[in-house]
Amino acid sequence: MITYLLRRIGHGILLLFGVSLLLFFLQQAAPADFLTDMRLNSQISDQTMAALRAQYGLDQSVPVRYLHWVKSSIRGDLGISFAYNVPVSGLIWPRIQHTVLLTGPALFISWLIAVPLGVLAAANRKPWIDRLFAGSTSLFLSVPDILLALLALLLALSSGKFPAGGMSSSSSSTAIASSHVRDVMWHMLLPVTALIIGSLAPILRQVRSSVMEVMDTTYFRAAEGHGLGRFTLLFRHALQAAANPLITLFGTSIATLLSTSLLIEVIMSWPGMGPLFLESIQARDLFVVIGSVMFITVFLLAGNLIADILLFVLDPRIADPRIADPRTRVDA
Amino acid sequence: MKQSSCLIKFAVLLCTLFVSNSFAAASTQEEVLRSSAEPGKPGGKLVITQRSEPRTFNPVPAADQTSMGIIDRLNADLIHINRATQKTEPSLAKSWTMSKDGTQFVVKLRKGIKFSDGAPFDADDVVFSFTAYLDEKVPSVHRDLLLVDDKPVKVEKVDAYTVRFTFPGPYAPAERAFDSLAILPRHLLENDYKDGKLGQMWGLNTQPDKIAGLGPFRLKQVVPGERIVLERNPYYWKVDAKNQKLPYIDELTFLIVPNQDAQVVRFQAGDAHIVSGLSGDNYAALEPEQASRHFKLYDAGPGLEYNYLMFNLNDDVTSRLPELARKQKWFNDVLFRQAVSLAIDRAGIVRLAFRGRGVALATHVTPGNKLWFNSNVTAPARSLPKARQLLQAAGFSQKQNGMLTDASGQPVEFTILVSSSNAQRAQMATLVQDDLKQLGMNVHVVTMEQRATIDRVVKSHDYEAVIMGLASGDADPTPDMNVLMSNGSTHLWHMGEKSPATPWEAEIDRIMQKQQVTLNHQQRKKLYDRIQEIEAEQLPMIYLASPNILVGAREDLGNFQPAVIEQYTFWNAEEFFWRTPAGNH
Amino acid sequence: MTNEPMRNLRRMGISKLAWAAGFLVLLHLAAIFAGFLAPYDYAAQDRSRPYAPPVRPHLVDCSGNWHLRPFVYVTTAREGNFNSYADDCTQRVPVSFFVRGDEYTFLGLIHGSLHLFGVAESAHISLMGTDGYGRDQFSRLLFGGQVSLFAGLAAALLSLIVGLVVGGVAGAFGGWVDETAMRITEITMAVPSFYLLLTVRAFLPLQMEPAAAFGLVVVAIGFWNWARPARMVRGIVLSGRERNFVLAARGFGATHFYLLRRHLAPMTFSVLLTQMAILIPQFILAEVILSFLGLGIGEPFPSWGNMLAYAQQYHILVNYWWMLLPGVALVPVILAYHALSEAVQEKLQSF
Repeated sequence: MITYLLRRIGHGILLLFGVSLLLFFLQQAAPADFLTDMRLNSQISDQTMAALRAQYGLDQSVPVRYLHWVKSSIRGDLGISFAYNVPVSGLIWPRIQHTVLLTGPALFISWLIAVPLGVLAAANRKPWIDRLFAGSTSLFLSVPDILLALLALLLALSSGKFPAGGMSSSSSSTAIASSHVRDVMWHMLLPVTALIIGSLAPILRQVRSSVMEVMDTTYFRAAEGHGLGRFTLLFRHALQAAANPLITLFGTSIATLLSTSLLIEVIMSWPGMGPLFLESIQARDLFVVIGSVMFITVFLLAGNLIADILLFVLDPRIADPRIADPRTRVDA
Repeated sequence: MKQSSCLIKFAVLLCTLFVSNSFAAASTQEEVLRSSAEPGKPGGKLVITQRSEPRTFNPVPAADQTSMGIIDRLNADLIHINRATQKTEPSLAKSWTMSKDGTQFVVKLRKGIKFSDGAPFDADDVVFSFTAYLDEKVPSVHRDLLLVDDKPVKVEKVDAYTVRFTFPGPYAPAERAFDSLAILPRHLLENDYKDGKLGQMWGLNTQPDKIAGLGPFRLKQVVPGERIVLERNPYYWKVDAKNQKLPYIDELTFLIVPNQDAQVVRFQAGDAHIVSGLSGDNYAALEPEQASRHFKLYDAGPGLEYNYLMFNLNDDVTSRLPELARKQKWFNDVLFRQAVSLAIDRAGIVRLAFRGRGVALATHVTPGNKLWFNSNVTAPARSLPKARQLLQAAGFSQKQNGMLTDASGQPVEFTILVSSSNAQRAQMATLVQDDLKQLGMNVHVVTMEQRATIDRVVKSHDYEAVIMGLASGDADPTPDMNVLMSNGSTHLWHMGEKSPATPWEAEIDRIMQKQQVTLNHQQRKKLYDRIQEIEAEQLPMIYLASPNILVGAREDLGNFQPAVIEQYTFWNAEEFFWRTPAGNH
Repeated sequence: MTNEPMRNLRRMGISKLAWAAGFLVLLHLAAIFAGFLAPYDYAAQDRSRPYAPPVRPHLVDCSGNWHLRPFVYVTTAREGNFNSYADDCTQRVPVSFFVRGDEYTFLGLIHGSLHLFGVAESAHISLMGTDGYGRDQFSRLLFGGQVSLFAGLAAALLSLIVGLVVGGVAGAFGGWVDETAMRITEITMAVPSFYLLLTVRAFLPLQMEPAAAFGLVVVAIGFWNWARPARMVRGIVLSGRERNFVLAARGFGATHFYLLRRHLAPMTFSVLLTQMAILIPQFILAEVILSFLGLGIGEPFPSWGNMLAYAQQYHILVNYWWMLLPGVALVPVILAYHALSEAVQEKLQSF
């Protein structure tokens, strides 16, 4: 178990390095840097600009800059944001927390809703239920998240009952914890709902089809024959046997949620990673772009690690190197 | 007898005490500045939305509007420009004298004033501040305003409350150069300056108690990405007509809301009390709600922002970019530029991009600049026939399929670059593209990210035409010299000229240099009028339009006076007060 | 299983396949014939009618009389307040079919000016309203389909080709080639997809001449998502490598390339076919999102993404609902592709 975990963690770290290298060398193609904006303030002369450039270290060669960055990032220092003049990690950390604040509950709630519903749909195979299920999941799958987010925003604006963006109202003081928490949760409502609606369908479908597969097996029929209660049968036995592809999907749904949250955050002005990332690309803020992708990759890898542990707990065959990693087999 | 002598002794004692007390008080008596605004009552909180986070609280390197807006509330300058009248008035300097030749500037400071942490203020702080601003090793964006002919101004302490500034030559806008140059606390920053770290101090994550200034507010709390909270500075040296200490507001919060639309929603909901930089569309959307939601909208008229279409007239591209060089034969022809200007539907731009709340421009000086606007120079009325005539005279001809070709038969085709960050400018580009299609020109619009756009215009010169906007820093002509002078660092249409390329550029150079040293306003105005005439004739930039300054505030906010120079809404934040009881906010 | 469900399945499969494929073909044809089907040019501005609501052709007029020929009313805007357009009951303008109108080029070669329907100059038949410049949204939707639908298609093709090559080579050669290729795909799959998409796009040149823009977007999206097809191809090639006839061919001295071309690649086709139908909507969405965020196709050329971007502005979102229609148009497209992929899968499984 430990070796398996260590192997996965090592794998993840290697991936991180690969990602960072790729990103860093890609960015050298970009032409502008943030100092050009100040150029346009007609009261600044050239010498001042040159001095500022030297201060921000933009004159050194690329490989030197990268090695510098690797050394310091191991120490936890991810560089300085050119635009904000603050350490990158300090800039990103609160943002990633806000993103997790959206995606965490969305992940939890969407699975909480989808699993029972999917199991029920698998267990009750009537033609009208099947058609309703197929039709509604098709529809949900086909509505793009971009439209969902815009509709959510429209709902907030036209009804006036929901906050249209942002994370908290200015009238709530951060000092009073309970009212602040309630305020933030109120602002979370629409973005999280949009995320959930967008991610329900694939989970529903997979749960239903996996459970249906299990229900077809001999061991399940045997358990049925033993006279076990319906509930125990479905939720303890069938679900556990169906766990393998579901856990894989769990890892995938983390990835999808993190990815979709970029769009939702931008459209609904939620101060998470999405808007920061978009802004830093537009601002050519080198270290923030790299740092953002690194952070979000770390969280995805962490999520996948959790999924791996869950999978191992449910199906220890995974750690056996003789058996191929089921995830490379199931390529969705 | 004994009783009365006791009484007399007692009275004398009292008198002595009283007199000695007043002497003691007089030596530390604050020399306050009395505001002429309507007196109000203290109390309450104010929330203003800002589009981005400030970069720093340090006045020295700060160059963006957001940072400067907050810094200006925390600090004070020697001489201040009143945004409403656009004229200078005393600030930390209680009086000043200018020598006859315009080079010696002696400033008398207010006595008995303290920084927001209680430390006393005197001439040493002023000398320290200006030394820092002028030091080449400390990259400060304000240095350039203190140079005349590239020579720095000299600062000397005359006594504890008097400072002398010596300009290398007569400098007409001298007084105005001091606006927003914050006086730094020597007792907090001198060591850092000596260690060469001054530029890095006072970043966003600095502890509030390490920052001190002479402004009406002091820093209370920073929540990264969300808000900046300021509180009243108890040591502030301005009072109202009734001798009450300013500011009235207990707490001033800057809420970071990056999206203009989101700002409007917050304002509507009462979350924010002031909203600024409204687009015409948002203004129209808010208008009908004024009564029911208890706020007032203000259209302060045109500001100092000017939007323009500019052709690339740089001459360093001939070998690098031959395509561009070929097209520059058209761009360099003034008849071509005039034809383009005549074809542009400025009224359409004002109507569609600004919803009617804007004004067409003929030069870079907008009608919002009351002191310098030349009312005799007006924007040309749109005339396609006249434009076609000019093009014909310049050797262009329109083919049967409508396409315009030059004298050698090449079709007229070029690209307009525009930044994606400003929706109105992107709109202008699409409108201009359609306008020029009427002349048979095939125009492409390419949107590019703001910084990349600027990089192309300023550094690589790899663009054909661009639509941009600039805002004059001040109503005075001098800050615009970098744009107008042929050797200016932002002489955008033709960067890095060693000498003026055309006779009219030479004329502009001459006149601008003259106005800088002409101390008489009437004479300066005549010179600047001539500049505007040249601009309208020769069209180095084809000026399009200027948006009105559209802002809004809660109706019970007293002393709200929107201006057309930054900061439009809260330049006089120390005078704001709530008419209704503070508990309602 | 008896034959009955099998036959039903096949029948169901064919009809679903027919519906989905038919709808998509029609849609793509409509996009190709946009010039003819749209009453106006995509860039034709009408500055006196910004944000005009959709015009409905009527059969019954204001006084309740029926007319055989559909007609529209002239709408006038109240000056200064763009929100109110009113039907002028006194001016009835009939809808004409096969009219001459704005010029367009069909497939970039043939010039034409015949339009399916239109109205006289005094009126406007903007079936889906107008945008901020007074441009007809219906026409723009059709022309925008050319971009959004075909960019997705082209990018999917590119991605599949890259995936085929990389996966095929990795599977056929094995060893360190395989290892490197798989590491690289893992790296790209380790980053959440939209973050990866924006990163790839951001590091390509951002200034785009209109002609190059389409190609650049296709390249960006195509190189974004090749990892999954590559891994699948690799898997198939790996297992196919050990098949008897392949081993036999190896025994006869066939080179890797021959094996790939002749034997291994064809095995991948059926899987790739189903994958196409799943991938294409993803790629269409990718183009829409890129253009929405300003990193895709630019003005004045319409893409469903850059049309939708206007809906981000609150006053537009709340007051001008028709600006959301490009987003709504995506729903049937994605539905159809999903139905197509399901139908293809069912068909293949039933063999």
